[in-house]
Amino acid sequence: MIAPHKVEIDQVLVRFGGVVALNAISAAFTAPIGGIIGPNGAGKTTLMNVISGFVTSKGGRVVVDGQDILTHPPHKRAHMGLRRSFQKEQIADDLTVFENVLVQLDHRLGSPAAKRAEAERMLEVVGLSDRADIPGALLSGFERRLTDVARCMVGNPKLIMFDEPAGGLSVEETHALGDLILGIHALTGAQTLVIDHDVELISRVCTETLVLDFGRRIAFGPTAQVLADPKVKAAYLGTEDIA
Amino acid sequence: MDRSLFRITPSGASGLIFAALAFTVLPAIAGSYWMSVLTSAACFTMAASGVAFMYARLGMVSLTQVGLMGIGGWVALRLNYLFDFPFEVNLILAALATMVFGWILALPALRMRGLYLALVTLMAAGGLEILFSTFQFPNGGVGFWGVKIGSTDPFRGPMLAQTPEAFLRYVIGMTTLGFLLIEAHRRTAPGRAWALIRKSEAAAMAAGVNVTLYKTWAFGIAGLLAGASGALLAASLGLLDDGTFRSPESILLFALAVVGGSRYWLGPVIAAFLYRILPALLNTWGVNADLAYVIFGIGLLHALITAPNGIAGQIFEAAQALTTKPRGQK
Repeated sequence: MIAPHKVEIDQVLVRFGGVVALNAISAAFTAPIGGIIGPNGAGKTTLMNVISGFVTSKGGRVVVDGQDILTHPPHKRAHMGLRRSFQKEQIADDLTVFENVLVQLDHRLGSPAAKRAEAERMLEVVGLSDRADIPGALLSGFERRLTDVARCMVGNPKLIMFDEPAGGLSVEETHALGDLILGIHALTGAQTLVIDHDVELISRVCTETLVLDFGRRIAFGPTAQVLADPKVKAAYLGTEDIA
Repeated sequence: MDRSLFRITPSGASGLIFAALAFTVLPAIAGSYWMSVLTSAACFTMAASGVAFMYARLGMVSLTQVGLMGIGGWVALRLNYLFDFPFEVNLILAALATMVFGWILALPALRMRGLYLALVTLMAAGGLEILFSTFQFPNGGVGFWGVKIGSTDPFRGPMLAQTPEAFLRYVIGMTTLGFLLIEAHRRTAPGRAWALIRKSEAAAMAAGVNVTLYKTWAFGIAGLLAGASGALLAASLGLLDDGTFRSPESILLFALAVVGGSRYWLGPVIAAFLYRILPALLNTWGVNADLAYVIFGIGLLHALITAPNGIAGQIFEAAQALTTKPRGQK
């Protein structure tokens, strides 16, 4: 078993005007797969945007393997091994599936042949080898998502973040995606963070989970324990606030 | 699976055949008037390819291309009268100088998108128009601007192409090289980065693409092509007139690139045909050349309503439909 990378979110603070989107959030993810859940507007995607560099935090640190990544621009973070997918899968329509994966490796040093071999290997892992030369425009929603996953897995990633990867997928597809996510750490050594509303997926793949509500951390710990927490249930089911 | 840089696609093959035919046939059959029209059209094809590629690959609208041609032409003329460099050196330096100007133009592009970017590039074209009309183009005078009253000193053309026929071939060759330069980029890392930037800048950054670098790079290539085409136009005419490089010309060239079809090699060719050859044809037929503007308008409406990929897109789609066997047939 490869030792997981340590991802430490430390006192991350984000304000949008008068709204506190993230109120000094802290969590140290050490398990290979972690989850972030919370109702709509809780700040999950904002936290992911802070980690990937699209939102600037007013304070705090995000430390991956002892290095504060918040000081680097987004593309440098990708060079450092940070990967993410978006709620709507971002596949360039006029590139082939293979090129959509290869683009992640273009900035890396190494021989073109090795990069092509790695892209092909990851396409094989996600089961898209026979679709490699198809333009992105012709893919189904699930195939686009799989291409996104393959892109996240190439280039020696340290931390992969999926933002609602199961959105719009069928039960079978979500299950297949869960299998893939479970295999990421053994395959690449990367740590994975998953944001999703699908509690079944989260409880299946995530060892530890952070729960946000209105920009506050309301729970963090082993997934089963967190999901049983009355405060988490209250946040999801909208019952009266439990102090 | 063939993904090599040098693979020949059906569209690429048709482009190379077209270039070869244009190279061999056109100079052989054109008279002196049409030689000059076709040379100018070939120059504008190269310039149009620059705006077309920026629009097709990055979704960026640049309305400065003809102004950038003016810079290339200005630098080529200035170097011609200042030093004894051969034309090829002047051509390369003019293209490089315009590429640098393209990079400078990219600075606002890094912050602006869509209509705002188009407006900034149009402002740049307007500024260049004022510079050109105020200072004119060098014609052998002294001083920085190199302008004198009276006759123009001779312009040294390429050593390889001293006759109008040879020069038309030279321009067609250079334009083909310009197209190949764009295609080589499209098939390698910059092309992949541009495609992802066009899809979403955030996705491109997340994939490790340096968006600033690649946008600047694209502006540089568009500038390089505009500069080279301006230098070739200067060599073709021996002198340049500020009226050629007014800002509405840049808008027109962009619009015609969209009408032609910015995603295909044929698009800039159609754009240059409409821009340079159609008015000459109307003149030859004794019809007011301003009718061309009406045709441009119809073409633009046609592209906006029925042909998102332009006339070239329609032609290639029709060709594909003809060559693809209907279902069920073997």
